[in-house]
Amino acid sequence: MTLTSMIAFTNATGETRPHYGGTLRVMMQSAPNALDLPSNATPADYWDAAGILSLIGDTLVKLDAQSRPQPALAVAWQGDPSARHWQLTLRRGVKFSDGTAASPAAIVQILGAVHPKWNVRASSDSVSIDSETPMPSLLAELALPRNLVLKRNGNGNDNRVPIGTGPFLVAEWQPGKRLKLAANEESWAGRPFVDGVEIEFGKSLHDQALALELDKADVIEVAPQATNGSQRHGTSASLSLPVELLALVFSPNSKAQDPRLREALALAIERKPIQSVLLKGAGEPAASILPNWMTGYSAVFSAQANPQRARTVLAGSRQPALNLSFDPRDPQAQLIAERIALDARQVGITVQVSLSGAEDLRLVRAMLPSPDPATALVEAARQLGLQEPVFPAAPRGNSLDDLYQAERSLLDGYAVIPLFHLAVASAASARVRGWEPDRLREWSGAGLSLADLWLADSRLADRRTEDSRPADSRPYDPHSYDARPEAGAR
Amino acid sequence: MSFRKKHLLLFAATVLLSVAVISASVYSTIRRSFEQANQDRANAIAAQFRSEFKRRGSDVVRKVESVAAGETVQRIALDLNRGATDSGEYVSAAHTLAGQQQLDFLELVDSRATILSSAQWQAKFGYPEAAIPPAAIAPAGAFLKREELPDGATLGLFAVRAARVGEQPLYVIGGERLDQGFLSTLDIPTGTRVLLYQNLNAKWNPKSLLDLNGPAAGADKIAPLVAQVRDTLQEPQGVIHWTSDPADAEVFHAIPLTGPSLSAANQSSASQTSANQNGANQQLMGVLLVGSSRRPLIELERQVVSTAMLVGGAGILVAVLASLWFAARVTRPVVSLAAAARRVAAGDLGTKVEVESSDELGELAASFNRMTEDLVQQKDRTLQVERVAAWRELARRLAHELKNPLFPLQVTVENLMRAKQKSPEMFEEVFHEGTATLLAEINNLKTIIGRFSEFSRMPQPQRRPTQVNDVVHSVLRVFHAQLHNNELENNDKDKIAVRTELADALPEISADPDLLHRALQNLVLNAIDAMPQGGELTIRTAILRDRIEISVSDTGSGLTQEECGRLFTPYYTTKQHGTGLGLAIVQSVVSDHGGKIAVESTKEKGTTFRIELSREPQPWQTGQN
Repeated sequence: MTLTSMIAFTNATGETRPHYGGTLRVMMQSAPNALDLPSNATPADYWDAAGILSLIGDTLVKLDAQSRPQPALAVAWQGDPSARHWQLTLRRGVKFSDGTAASPAAIVQILGAVHPKWNVRASSDSVSIDSETPMPSLLAELALPRNLVLKRNGNGNDNRVPIGTGPFLVAEWQPGKRLKLAANEESWAGRPFVDGVEIEFGKSLHDQALALELDKADVIEVAPQATNGSQRHGTSASLSLPVELLALVFSPNSKAQDPRLREALALAIERKPIQSVLLKGAGEPAASILPNWMTGYSAVFSAQANPQRARTVLAGSRQPALNLSFDPRDPQAQLIAERIALDARQVGITVQVSLSGAEDLRLVRAMLPSPDPATALVEAARQLGLQEPVFPAAPRGNSLDDLYQAERSLLDGYAVIPLFHLAVASAASARVRGWEPDRLREWSGAGLSLADLWLADSRLADRRTEDSRPADSRPYDPHSYDARPEAGAR
Repeated sequence: MSFRKKHLLLFAATVLLSVAVISASVYSTIRRSFEQANQDRANAIAAQFRSEFKRRGSDVVRKVESVAAGETVQRIALDLNRGATDSGEYVSAAHTLAGQQQLDFLELVDSRATILSSAQWQAKFGYPEAAIPPAAIAPAGAFLKREELPDGATLGLFAVRAARVGEQPLYVIGGERLDQGFLSTLDIPTGTRVLLYQNLNAKWNPKSLLDLNGPAAGADKIAPLVAQVRDTLQEPQGVIHWTSDPADAEVFHAIPLTGPSLSAANQSSASQTSANQNGANQQLMGVLLVGSSRRPLIELERQVVSTAMLVGGAGILVAVLASLWFAARVTRPVVSLAAAARRVAAGDLGTKVEVESSDELGELAASFNRMTEDLVQQKDRTLQVERVAAWRELARRLAHELKNPLFPLQVTVENLMRAKQKSPEMFEEVFHEGTATLLAEINNLKTIIGRFSEFSRMPQPQRRPTQVNDVVHSVLRVFHAQLHNNELENNDKDKIAVRTELADALPEISADPDLLHRALQNLVLNAIDAMPQGGELTIRTAILRDRIEISVSDTGSGLTQEECGRLFTPYYTTKQHGTGLGLAIVQSVVSDHGGKIAVESTKEKGTTFRIELSREPQPWQTGQN
């Protein structure tokens, strides 16, 4: 679940003017042992980590829901026609929370460590990035949480505390248990309204819900289906855009090498009952990797089951029994896997759900971490273990047709069978106040989501109400797009 | 076989037979008792199983009824009747309810037989439940049913109840596994075990045979028994031999477990109701196998056999000892009697046996002693009679021989007395004639007396290496002239042909050639005398194993049996003239050489005398034949 995608709906009867002060209490299921983006993580863990780090650090650019780059640490950018050379002009006067300057050199050092293949150079007020291969989606890449400008203290252990330029800094860190963030008074985007954020880790959804009910938490994670029902008075829940893909992926050494078998399996799966019953109505049946809100063409890929055709495809062929594994950390995965096995059995395919033995296919959740479809497709393919999608030399991702062809090539051969696009959800208590977004929510806003929250508590000492944040650091309002400086222009 | 051995064998056989008969009867009795005990035990376990099965069935029914009457199910039924289409919230209801009631299986099925929630296979929501009859025709009690699970099929004891809240009922199908867990609830006595075969497939599946720990080992050995149940739906029994040791075998009693044939559930409910209620249309769901180890029986059998062998062996040993003792006390007198009899047969008529008891054996011994005494007395009498007869014969012969020359002596003396008295002038002449006759007859008397004297003083053989064939030739030379003159005089009409069949390389023997010559001469003489009308005289010599044989045969008139028996008696003769000592002399010579002589004769055919002499030097013995 991403904190950064959490939007709190304003209580119409409450105060609308922000207040400074107070501590925002947040609960999460994940229990990270390091303040870092985990590798081989579940989407929930990824979103949590990304959200936390986004409170501490900033990226050079950020993307809105329409995948348009917005300034962050960089205020302007320019790329050559080949998309191999980019230059980004940095915001002046930005400091890390430890007081050191977020100089181009420091930023170059951080980015260079993340991308060894890039040639990242610093100049007086800018950073240039060169690559041998075209990087038409560089800006979308730079908006990803892995490119947050964070430095670590030098003690070299896994508990290194990241130091960034974000609205908060790490005040106390108990790995896997608790994290306390304090407001960064010197944040270039302005001091956040709340004095701090306290995050408790390892809390189940049930415990989080109880804590919200008992007013022991302000922001919690909820199951997507929980947003459909009525909320208790004062609490609010929000659902993100579909940002996850639930799919079946065949392992390289799978016994299911016959494309007829894979096609039959794809045709056998009834997505509707799974969505309505197991996902409690959440998610969208999917036959494509990218959701429709990213591409607009996902309807081309049919998600309709056709058991009759599946039997016809398999007619006369003798197929081996397949072993279907799943992520035991995903509470819904086992039931969904068993349902898929049952659907497969109806068309004559033997699928055994098991966590032991060699897996032939696996039920996985992949994150779609960027609103940029090309970037999301590349990231999804990497997580699913597919070959990297091939785009035309330059400029990559510009053409919708190119994107479709690239996605089509991944889906042909049935190396992956998309099942659902899923959203993430969260809920907030009655005392949480925030801005009022529209349906196309802020995407991976670097800390701005919590930084823009305030607590409606009359006991708060600090009665500052003026929003002292720079104009361009305020949350993106699509309706006021024309008033903003043009992204990328100098 | 001796009497002692026969007795021993008889005694041992009696003991052995007795032990065998007793052991067989004991074994048979024990076996029957064991078989009955095993059968009773199997029946008891079967009854226990049926009782437990019934109890569990009632328990399942009670739990399902409780679920159907519970608030959750009632609410769901109400929602369905109100047209609720979102069944997603019920997907885990069955799992929760099953956990509360401790049921292994629980499904909520709507009126269209669509699964709303399944505890045993949660993913099965929305699928039709085909393997269950509608509650209208479902059995009232618990029943066996095959249940499909994600990891395979299993057998369960189920019950069906309907929650009727409105027009559309909601069916509750609950059950418990019938597997090794159920077997563990049975109270199984020591030496017995219970297996359960879940008849889930058309073909035999060894992994479906369960014991307390799961799939049972050696399932394929039980396959035939299970096949028998599948074919007949009866309760057969069979012995399963797990190894080559009979003690490892088990007797299995198979009990078929049936359940309703649910494939008929799709037919008209009216036609199926009575069928199901009456137990018809049942199909085999499982087989309960109650096994009793044969080890106690086999070990007891072995014990009986070993005991019988031990007793038999001891019995035989006792029989041997008893027989030895018995022989010492019973057969010894018999053996003594037998030995005494042999001595008597050998000629020792003075043999006596000791009378040790007063029973029949004692009487036998006493009788034997009396018999030998009688024999001795009889022999003595016989000898005496023979002596008297021999003396009488000798006296008669003497009288006869002496009478002949004495008569002319008397006549001559009377003539001389008469001549002296009446014709003194012729006395001189008569005196000369008379004295000549007197001298001749006196010489005759002297010859007769000399012959008798000679017989009484037969010399001892002077042994030296002697070629018998040469002796034969020398004897024939003696009679050559006589045989030749006889031939001439009778013009071959009364010719006696002489034939010799002498063995080549006849070995020399130790003998007195003169005595031997004399004996053969007497035999040849007798043979010639026996053929006054001519005939054939044959002399043979032959080599026997340790003897040589000399036979003299004639073709005369032959002898009777009585004559043969008395031939060798001194002074016995069949001739008108003769001393009767010739054959006696022959016998004496043969006897002195340690040989034997025998006579064979057939009336009108001829007579053969056979003499056997040892090739080895023999001590002086009296020959008998």
